[in-house]
Amino acid sequence: MKKLINIIQTNNLFIKIFLVMVVSIIAVSLLITYSSIRMSSNLFMDTFSITNSKIMNQITERFNTFSDSIVSASLEVDTNGTMKQLLQEEHKTNIEKSIYYYHMNDEMERIYAEVDPNDANMIVMSKNNEIFNMNYIKWPVDGEKLANHEMIRRMEESSNDIVYQFEESEVTNGVPMIIASKALKLQSDFIYGYLFFSLTEKDLKKFYESYTSAGNNVLLLTPNGKIISSNQEELVGGNSSELLSYAQSFEDEELEYRNVDVFGQNYILLSEYLPSLDIYLVNLINREIVADNVIDTSEIVFISIGIVILAVLATFLILRKMTVSISKLVHQISDMARYQFNKPLKETGGYETRKIAKAFNYMLNEMQDYVQILLNTQEKQRKAELDALQHQINPHFIYNTLASIKFMIRQEKKEIASDTIDSFISLIQNSLSNVEETITVEQELENLKNYVQINQARYGDRIKVNYLISPDCLPLYLPKLVLQPFIENAFFHAFTKKKAGFIQILIAQKDNYLICEIIDNGDGLAPDQLDDKTIKTKEKRQLFSGIGVKNVHERIQLLYGKDYGVKIDSEPLKGTKVMVKLPVYE
Amino acid sequence: MRKNFWLLMIALLTAIVLAACSGGDDGSGNAEEEDNGDDGSQITAWAWDPNFNIAALNLAKEHYDNENFEMEIIENAQDDIVQRLNTGLSSGTMKGMPNIVLIEDQRAQSFLQSYPDAFYAIGDYFNPEDFADYKLAPTSFDGEQYGLPFDTGVTGFFYRTDYLEEAGYTHDDLVNITWSEYVEIAKDVKEQTGQAMLSLDPNDLGILRVMMQTTGTWYTSEDGTIQLEGNEPLQMALENYKELMENDLVKLSSDWSQYLAAFNSGDVASVPAGNWIGPSVEAEESQAGLWRVAPTPRLDMEGAANASNQGGSSFYVLNIDGKEAAAEFLGETFGSNVEFYQDLVQEVGAIGTFKPASEGDAYQFENEFFNGQQVVYDFSQWMEEIPQVDYGMNTYGIEDILSAEIQQYLDGKSLEDVLSDAQTQAENQFK
Repeated sequence: MKKLINIIQTNNLFIKIFLVMVVSIIAVSLLITYSSIRMSSNLFMDTFSITNSKIMNQITERFNTFSDSIVSASLEVDTNGTMKQLLQEEHKTNIEKSIYYYHMNDEMERIYAEVDPNDANMIVMSKNNEIFNMNYIKWPVDGEKLANHEMIRRMEESSNDIVYQFEESEVTNGVPMIIASKALKLQSDFIYGYLFFSLTEKDLKKFYESYTSAGNNVLLLTPNGKIISSNQEELVGGNSSELLSYAQSFEDEELEYRNVDVFGQNYILLSEYLPSLDIYLVNLINREIVADNVIDTSEIVFISIGIVILAVLATFLILRKMTVSISKLVHQISDMARYQFNKPLKETGGYETRKIAKAFNYMLNEMQDYVQILLNTQEKQRKAELDALQHQINPHFIYNTLASIKFMIRQEKKEIASDTIDSFISLIQNSLSNVEETITVEQELENLKNYVQINQARYGDRIKVNYLISPDCLPLYLPKLVLQPFIENAFFHAFTKKKAGFIQILIAQKDNYLICEIIDNGDGLAPDQLDDKTIKTKEKRQLFSGIGVKNVHERIQLLYGKDYGVKIDSEPLKGTKVMVKLPVYE
Repeated sequence: MRKNFWLLMIALLTAIVLAACSGGDDGSGNAEEEDNGDDGSQITAWAWDPNFNIAALNLAKEHYDNENFEMEIIENAQDDIVQRLNTGLSSGTMKGMPNIVLIEDQRAQSFLQSYPDAFYAIGDYFNPEDFADYKLAPTSFDGEQYGLPFDTGVTGFFYRTDYLEEAGYTHDDLVNITWSEYVEIAKDVKEQTGQAMLSLDPNDLGILRVMMQTTGTWYTSEDGTIQLEGNEPLQMALENYKELMENDLVKLSSDWSQYLAAFNSGDVASVPAGNWIGPSVEAEESQAGLWRVAPTPRLDMEGAANASNQGGSSFYVLNIDGKEAAAEFLGETFGSNVEFYQDLVQEVGAIGTFKPASEGDAYQFENEFFNGQQVVYDFSQWMEEIPQVDYGMNTYGIEDILSAEIQQYLDGKSLEDVLSDAQTQAENQFK
């Protein structure tokens, strides 16, 4: 888990960019795929419905031709004198009948040729129920059944018109067909025969079937909403008032096409009313199926998926390459501090990262240079400051010392006054005149002794000072006034409660260090006053020189480095021990 | 490194695009190959009656053991088949033509003589001598056997035993009679029972052809000359026809339904017609046991046989790719398989013209509807006696002319004038 988070963190940049890229690639290709499919299917549907309305016109034309042929055939039958006569005459003998049948057939065959190309059948029935059937196979009708059918009554009622109707009953042996019928009447309204034209649904279908395809359906609808023919056989014989109302309103609105929901699906509907047959020709186009057949959605989808995969792959590789080098760079930069800003970056990876690394390294070098310069300057300044401090002898010290000497002379302690003046002279001489920074232990010891002598002369000798110096140390060098501040500190602060005590000064070589120790048995320090390197004091005191306990450690380190410095141990009421660690300089 | 990366990407892209393209090519290539394969083994056949000849073809397919054989049977109305064959063959392109087509015997010569190269001679795939002799003339041309005979149109004299008994006739009195005797019997039946002897449609001269073929003559001679004038069997047939009409021995029907109704309703005493009328007769179950079948009456002439033919068709193989497979299929089934013919009689009710088949069990079946008569066997026996006739090219054309003349004959025109007028018209039309 931690590893995972770690991986995520280190690849943060890559993951972010990659995710954004993937999401946008997918989004773009999805949108483009969707809109191109939509656009092409819309375009296709538009052209498709234009073509289909032309097809509708063609189908209508075919229906009209058919009904025209029926009208003209029925007119011919109506006006055919031979048939009129034959149908009215009585035929008793076989010979009369034979001639009657023969001539009826002869006449009808001539007229039938007009209707035949549409696969329609033509039948004439006489008053005696004799059937003259031009194409028995198309409608094997029985005279008795036909004579008793309600069709006859309807025909008789409707005077001159041709009556169209859809039949699927016993009279047609259950075969669905359209029957056009007409009563043959004399002027006196006497009916001498009946004329029928039948067209089976199967043959009717041929009028439009070649224009249909999967999803592109044609239906014929009576004004009662009955579906009398369709290329979708399961719909034939059914009723759909819904579809009828659509077809009727379509006719009124004069639309190019409209979208409808019928039979539980969404269709594009085109409709045409055929007044000659009194039926509605309806074209239902199932948008989805038709468009699917023409527009290869899956191909488009596959192409976009392919592009997405390629693009993502390419992004992955390119991004990976870019971000890995950037991540490495970042990693190196974040590690900088550990190497003191000394280690330059590796200039690898892509163009950009190499440039960045180069610039960074350049900047690093510059910075190091500046820092070096700055450090040098600061060191110089500090040294100058310390130098300046070193050369300053507190005027109060001089004033107080001189004042003490004046008292000694007045009290006529000539001996002491002369010693003190000697010490004072030698101390000032060493402090001011000796411009060299380091002096020998011997000289420092001299200074210390002079300083102690002055103090003892001023304040009495209740504080004893012992010097334990290893002789081999005497010629060694050490910075000027390194030990004086601690002795001063011990004199003025270690013995405020205890009135007497002693201070021991030890100088020896140890492990190639010059170790100086200033040990007192005075009051000691509370832990809060102690800082291991220096002693915290509140009051502003007058020191012998500008250098106090405070900056001794700093000074040593500035001169010799980290290995050297001051260490202070103290215990209240027992005393304080200051250890100064210095290099051995001869 | 950078350059290589981009080269790799470009190579990858190209590879993918190429793979997609070549994938498409492969697909279409396969489809084409499949189509070609289908053309080689897929046989199509045209026939017209799903209950009869199409059922027979399906049965034959079941009897044919050839895994590679595939046949599609397409139903077309007979008139459509004739029309499409005529259009297709006369245009010279055989595109869309079937491998096997069923053609009515009386039309066959018009195709064979008009388009001799369009058909494939299949005499080598079966033995023509196994088939009824009368079938060979209409199905062959120029000495080559083109058709494989299918069903027989052998005729019989179906009669109502009750009516004829009432008129005083037994079965023996009706066997091997002449048409003149038939007319006399009809008169007796009319007198005794009041029923007409037979039903006829004046627009169908089938009965005349049946009469004529008993003597082995036709409207045309073997060399194609129209012979109406002075055609003695035709004259005799017309005389019989007129006598039947004049004496009101016929129940006239104006269409097929009336023709069927005439014997189904018991209005006529007999039906002289092809054996295929049998199922229609049997359709009226209330008349079971009242019917029998006698041999067809013959014309009263020397050499006339008591057997004739009405209808019947044969299979032809068109001279296009797949003809061998088609011919082999026909030869193995319709051309030689006795067992297949037994099933054909039992399941489809079709009597073939394959002579060895008549010895099979199915042919011995005693039909209860016909008083236990072995109807199928009898038909197959009569079939072998049918006099051979060359139907020629113009049977139906001549008949159109003749039927107009016959009405005038019935109306009183003399027979000589009728025939000579018909002869002149026919010669004008078909020469």
